[in-house]
Amino acid sequence: MIDPTLRGFIKKEFIQALRDRRMRFILLMMPLVQMTIFGVAISTEVKNIRLAAFFNAKDNVLRDVYERAIMGGWFIPAKAAGRIAQHPFELIRANKADAVLVAPPKGFTHELGRKTAPLQLLIDATNVVQAESVEAYLKAILADTVASDLKVAASPPPPIRFDVRVLFNPSLDTATFMVPGVMVMIMVITTFLLVVMGVVREKEQGTFEMLIAAPVSRTELIFGKTLPYVVIGMADLPLMLPVSVLAFHVPLRGSFLYLFFATLVFVSTIVAAGLLTSTFCANQQQASMGSFLFMFPAIMFAGIIFPIENMPPSVQVFAAIDPLSHYLILLRDIMLKGSTIGLLDRHVLALVGIAAFSITASFARFRTTLR
Amino acid sequence: MAAGEPISIQVRDVHKEFRRFEALHGITLDFDPGLMHGIIGPEGSGKTTLLRILLGLMRPAQGRILYFEGGRPASFDVLRPHIAYMPQAQSLYPDLSIEEHLAFFRDLYGIQPRAYAEKRAELLSVSRLAPFVDRPAGQLSGGMYKKLGLMCALLRSPRVIVLDEPTTGVDPISRRELWELLYRLLDQGILVLVTTAYLDEAERCSKVHLIESGSVIASGEPRALLDDQKARSFDELFLRRAAGSASE
Repeated sequence: MIDPTLRGFIKKEFIQALRDRRMRFILLMMPLVQMTIFGVAISTEVKNIRLAAFFNAKDNVLRDVYERAIMGGWFIPAKAAGRIAQHPFELIRANKADAVLVAPPKGFTHELGRKTAPLQLLIDATNVVQAESVEAYLKAILADTVASDLKVAASPPPPIRFDVRVLFNPSLDTATFMVPGVMVMIMVITTFLLVVMGVVREKEQGTFEMLIAAPVSRTELIFGKTLPYVVIGMADLPLMLPVSVLAFHVPLRGSFLYLFFATLVFVSTIVAAGLLTSTFCANQQQASMGSFLFMFPAIMFAGIIFPIENMPPSVQVFAAIDPLSHYLILLRDIMLKGSTIGLLDRHVLALVGIAAFSITASFARFRTTLR
Repeated sequence: MAAGEPISIQVRDVHKEFRRFEALHGITLDFDPGLMHGIIGPEGSGKTTLLRILLGLMRPAQGRILYFEGGRPASFDVLRPHIAYMPQAQSLYPDLSIEEHLAFFRDLYGIQPRAYAEKRAELLSVSRLAPFVDRPAGQLSGGMYKKLGLMCALLRSPRVIVLDEPTTGVDPISRRELWELLYRLLDQGILVLVTTAYLDEAERCSKVHLIESGSVIASGEPRALLDDQKARSFDELFLRRAAGSASE
């Protein structure tokens, strides 16, 4: 039998959170809408690269390279006319092409017969991520084409032959990688904001003064204000999971039970962090500012957009204390690899640790007296 | 009838400071049960601070608050469930209806269903709010809003009720209704403690304590106090004091 005070609180929070039509929309529809939009839009894949190539009619190898590139689906022919079309550099400066291949004066095919064949590649690097991908794509196509066109018997075979097998996401589909990240972001935004706003609203309305004057213990007050948001946060899972599995074909290889457990631990951690944040905020403005200060770095260091491995070790510390990074790993492990997790999983323990710290600090900071 | 023995409170030499500004300096007062005590004073005189200290919401810098139950000393923690408070600032949930407020406070105070049903019916009929039970607090008039606040405070049958400016921003008719509600409590032996900046309301109290700039300037029955100060009304008394301090 649940403590009546706690029950009253939980009932009240549910009424307040679900009464407003706009609030219901934000809680129930936004995750679905955002999931769909972000899942489609957020991608690290580079497509539709406008490619131009300058070569003479007899330069067969380079023509093959160009044609393969266009056929491959990543590149499209750059369109330009007049003076611009004659100058490789101008093409890029006028933003008519993203990459331009320029054959050497005597032709690339001709030069290949000699020791080293020069080939110029101009890439627009105003978008660094795209530029790196373009370079990698073209090098691969080039190597392939040269090998097949010349049947390079002359050069010795490379000493290492990689046998690359892409596991768990064989088509290197970015949705498979990004959708769990989007799930984490949406979950943290709705849950965290609700908790912080829920507590701060009481302070702002003056209802907090009445609550602490009532014979309610600090524990009842804290759990009464947080448990409902754990439930509301958990509701995101059955909302978003079908979208990711059915619309984006992200596999759910692991057990739903593990996923549920990991999500419960994560949502509780976020609620605890939200509670701690709320103890620093006196009004809604401070609450939105505080939420932003938490969520922005939390998303940055989660490894959703930028891989944690690319961060300098000193900064990786932030990733280690970022609940999002741990949940993201759990989510990808369970969904993509079908991993089983135990109570003592490293990332579960990390989440529990962060939650325990937040709760303890909140208890210490949660004032039952006014200043 | 409020169950349990009557509670009285003694304030002894209470001081409170806020960042070098002294809100209360050396307040000493006695609040006896079954009486309506009015704490009267202009805005910023320290009325709310005094109440918050009485209710354990703030700690005094110096001095003590003594609580008695049936004449014997008792600890605040023991008596706390029997002391109700209605803060001055809006303190209800604008999106919850009257019914939802009552249900929330029932759970908060752990009131049994039967006792609650009786109390709810009684409060709704006395306050005449029964037709509006489904209306959200944010859409109630000033007077109805205060009455709902009072109902929430009275739901647990307190032996002490502390009201901070219950009639501020309330129309004259609702003000009278609120006072009538408070008088009913006195018949039950409850200690009622009320602050007001409306000086004409001072005469409605059984005992008034005049506070100015954090000090008690006079204390006693309203009529006797006025005679003592040779004033016809509390308005006149405070105006005279204000003029006096300005000419000093």
